[in-house]
Amino acid sequence: MRSQFRRRTAAVVTAVAVLAGCAGNAPAAAPAPAGPPAAANDTVRYAAPGSPSNAVTDPHGLLPGESDMVRMALTYDVLTVPGADGSTRPRLATEWRPDKTLTRWRITVRDDATFSDGRPVRAADALFSLRRMGEKAAENFGRMAMFDLGASKVIDDTAFELVTRKPYAEVGRALEGATFVVPEGSDDFGEPVPGSGPFRPTARGGAQAVVYERNDDWWGPAPPSRFIEVRAVPDPQSRAQALLSGQVDLAGGVPATLAKQQEGNSAVRLLRRPGATLYPLVMRMDTEPFDDHRVREAVRLALDRRQLLDTVFLGYGEIGNDLITPKDASSPRDLPQRTRDLGRARKLMADAGLAGGVDLTLHTTTAYPGMDSAATLISQQLAGIGIRAEVSLEPADTYFSEIYGRKPFYLSYLGGIPFLDVVRVALTPGSPTNETAWKDPAWFAGLDEALAEADDARRSSLLADLQTELRDQGGYAVWALSDRLDLARAGLSGVPEGIGFASAFIDQVSLDG
Amino acid sequence: MFQLPRPAGVPVRAALLLAAASVVIFLCTAALPGDAADVLGGGRATAEELARLRAEQGLDRPLPVRYLDWLSGVLTGEPGVSLITGRPVAELVAERAAVTLALAVAALALGLPLTTALAWAAVRGPRWARPAVNTLIVTGAALPQAVVAAALVAWLSTAWGAFPPVSMLPAGEPPWHRPDLLVLPVLTLALPTAAYGAALLRGAIADVVAQPYVRDAELRGLSPVTVLFRYVLPMVAAPATRLFAVLLGGLVAGTAVVEILFGLAGLGELLVTAISTRDVPVVQNVALLAAAVVVAGLLVADAAAPEAVRS
Repeated sequence: MRSQFRRRTAAVVTAVAVLAGCAGNAPAAAPAPAGPPAAANDTVRYAAPGSPSNAVTDPHGLLPGESDMVRMALTYDVLTVPGADGSTRPRLATEWRPDKTLTRWRITVRDDATFSDGRPVRAADALFSLRRMGEKAAENFGRMAMFDLGASKVIDDTAFELVTRKPYAEVGRALEGATFVVPEGSDDFGEPVPGSGPFRPTARGGAQAVVYERNDDWWGPAPPSRFIEVRAVPDPQSRAQALLSGQVDLAGGVPATLAKQQEGNSAVRLLRRPGATLYPLVMRMDTEPFDDHRVREAVRLALDRRQLLDTVFLGYGEIGNDLITPKDASSPRDLPQRTRDLGRARKLMADAGLAGGVDLTLHTTTAYPGMDSAATLISQQLAGIGIRAEVSLEPADTYFSEIYGRKPFYLSYLGGIPFLDVVRVALTPGSPTNETAWKDPAWFAGLDEALAEADDARRSSLLADLQTELRDQGGYAVWALSDRLDLARAGLSGVPEGIGFASAFIDQVSLDG
Repeated sequence: MFQLPRPAGVPVRAALLLAAASVVIFLCTAALPGDAADVLGGGRATAEELARLRAEQGLDRPLPVRYLDWLSGVLTGEPGVSLITGRPVAELVAERAAVTLALAVAALALGLPLTTALAWAAVRGPRWARPAVNTLIVTGAALPQAVVAAALVAWLSTAWGAFPPVSMLPAGEPPWHRPDLLVLPVLTLALPTAAYGAALLRGAIADVVAQPYVRDAELRGLSPVTVLFRYVLPMVAAPATRLFAVLLGGLVAGTAVVEILFGLAGLGELLVTAISTRDVPVVQNVALLAAAVVVAGLLVADAAAPEAVRS
């Protein structure tokens, strides 16, 4: 104890001495920037977007940051995962098979998965976890809303029956990503509960970062790295600097300006994930002037999408075609690109009785990078058709409770989520979050019909038609999609390619690739 | 304020000050727009779901009940549980205290002599240098930490390569295992603090050096350093100690910007994030802790200051 105290005292004294030396203009005496510690090749260090103060331990509630999603995806198995191509891949669930009505699904889970406390993972654990998600609906955007979990039941150790409220052909997709399986009966989530995932949390953790060690009993492909260190770093610039100074091996979500500077740097690799983020322009269809279809179309025709992409995202992305989920596997691929046509837009405004223009307030915030400059530029572009949009910059921390779903004209945010998830959270009539007030009964009948269609190709085409109709008739203008930009140390491999939940499954990262 | 007999008055005064601080902190958190239920719902929960969340978290209870509940929790050593993460606040604070204390103490250790030197130079430095020192003090005190950090990173990290531009402390190790990672954060805290402290201290020093016995000492040919240590510093000890107590409190509560810019998980980052997520139990307890540091510092200052010069 005493010697430890003395060592610590010595360290503090050294620190003060270094500081004093530095204040005396002697930076040459300082140590070199931190490199990886010795024998670090079996540890991959990841600086992920998120806040260390929000590090939740409950996998079924709100996962506030990407770092939280990553930690859960290392610790727990999920039933299915999204593939890079948008298809659903098996994970803990090996098979999901409906009855003829598409309302009763037999979900088969692996028989070779075990929790870290040695218990086998059973179907009962999976159903328990889904029910817990159902109970915490308010905190997970109602992810289990399509299921009647009370009527669902365990069949045996490796199978359970999942009952849907209506015929629902996309059950595999509904189980993607967030369905973290915990032992049945878990009720105290103040600390992580046992998981069956590819890694296990070690005692080497705390507020700064958490170190995960490979679970050698995992049923899946053996992770190449023995340790993964996950660190939540809120500031995008700091994440990038951490990578450039060799303190981490992977920096998630770095600023486009910095990515541009590093384009010629061979020591780092820029990873781009197309279509990860969009800031759709919301026009509420039950509020003047957006209750007139011609005004919504005029706005969509007035936007200079290329200029927005180049200014807001520095060109890292692609121009939008007003499709709200263009990377969804069912998104229509053959639609012509909507381009700026001020002549037609002005005529539509005149037809709508707004030849003299209209005064509006366009709300935006700084919650995500570029949202403020996007609104300013959109306001300038809309001046070309007589819309005098005054930009109102709102505080980031109340934007999604005060502006989102309440104001008629604002910039929203979507982070790479699938079409049916957008339908659930933002296109449900009567819901407070139906931000565009989309309520066409025929469209919803068409949605039910599509989800009751067992044939994959036919269903996909029905879903594509629905998205086309939403694009042309709805209250969204999707002007551009930004890439998600990560910086990796050269040689790092195994970073997942997909967007949304797909990006959280980093168990195959390796420094030797 | 009001006078109580010493020394029994000291703990009473401290308790009253902290009680007053707790009321102000509580009212401030209550006045924030929105609450943790809004945050957990991500703006996408229905009114009924939000009502249920509020009931679960006790946010639907009247303000006096919530205040007394918190106060009794603090007094019984169970200050509450984070509304966002479900973890005990005491645990969250314990995980982060080392980083913030290391930053604050090192910044004060550096800032203390620097404050004194700057204040002395402004009052008694070479006549030609005094305007420059005064300008330096005013500018330095007014500089936002983000600007200081950017300048230090540009100079000591980007240009010199002396220190890393961010500080990814090793997982599960105390911060002083990597002093090199603390240098830039500590300098970012210490430099504006020293300038601010000097701005407040130079007046006191000017008063003292105007005293006849200081002039007398100078006329007797004593060196400026001797004059400073023997005749000036003892006389400004009381106000200076109080000033340093306040500076330490400010450092403990004011590390948020530095922690976020350098990627450190400390109490400042915890406080700022908790405010933005309306995690009221965390905000209340971290703010009260900062207030306690200031009060404790003031008490120490009062106790340490010689009776003769106590104002």
